[in-house]
Amino acid sequence: MLAAAMLAGCSTVGGLAGTVAGITTGSFTSNPAIGIAVSVSVKALTDAQVKKLLRSLQQDEQDEIAALAGAMAPGEIRQWQVRHVIPYGNNQGDLQVTRVIDTPLASCREVMFTVVDRKAGAPSGDVPRAWFAANVCRQDRGWKWAIAEPAVERWGSLH
Amino acid sequence: MNRFQAGRTLIATIASAGFLSMTGCSSFLQQGSGAVAGVGGAAIASGLTSDAAVATGIGVGMQSLAQAGVQRWQRAVHTAEQDQIAAIAGALAPGQVAPWNVSHQVPIEPASRGEVTVSRVVGGKALDCREIVFSVDRPPKAESAQAFYVAMICRDGARWKWASAEPATERWGSLQ
Repeated sequence: MLAAAMLAGCSTVGGLAGTVAGITTGSFTSNPAIGIAVSVSVKALTDAQVKKLLRSLQQDEQDEIAALAGAMAPGEIRQWQVRHVIPYGNNQGDLQVTRVIDTPLASCREVMFTVVDRKAGAPSGDVPRAWFAANVCRQDRGWKWAIAEPAVERWGSLH
Repeated sequence: MNRFQAGRTLIATIASAGFLSMTGCSSFLQQGSGAVAGVGGAAIASGLTSDAAVATGIGVGMQSLAQAGVQRWQRAVHTAEQDQIAAIAGALAPGQVAPWNVSHQVPIEPASRGEVTVSRVVGGKALDCREIVFSVDRPPKAESAQAFYVAMICRDGARWKWASAEPATERWGSLQ
């Protein structure tokens, strides 16, 4: 049931869990404060867990692209793909290194990549592809995603 | 009495979870603080009114206020960090490396430090910008000793400001 709810929209899971917990508690106690307390706490805990899970999925994708980009020469085009243990957010696409950023501090690269949804099903040539740009840098334990956070003035509704 | 005790135990549990989160995950801090405030608000309201709808309203209102408060803190913390890194990088020539260091009054995020260098000068008509690469030192037990990031800064009059835009909405993922 959780998986089904996630596919429908992950951000609603916390609210659903909170509602269910609130209703369940309400049938045990006539005190509305306890009902609300349980509902609000369960929602908060579930929201935090769902966020943690989604972040780990996103991180897998970033690590995959970064590791591949670290092994590529500038101008070369390769395919990337990520397969999660749970079948959610399995993406793939093309990847190329557009610039090598060598500084005394760190070795970084600018990469461009496309994201193709596997469910689209059409031949790859027909699928409209959007390109995205990113930076990756080499750390002690391999290449990692290196885009810093946006300027606070541009956070808008991100937060 | 039992109900009251149950409520208090729950609040204490959430409060301690909220305290633990001061050391780490900011998303949990946001959620946890909101929950604590919501529960507290509802408990107080139910003492003042017997109307469940009013008590719920007050509880949810307090939850939103607390979450908004934590978000404002986080924005202030990041603004201070971005301003400092930008100011230091603005004075550097490409290839020069300088240290940066920010400590926060509220320990919502740990004090951070690292080094910064300019990797590219981007200029144009009335445009004075730089691409910077900066490191953030990690705690001793972390996977890597340093993490590296790339950002853009631009000069606004006499001061340098962070200029990286937000990710494309298609790439927001779990950011929100």
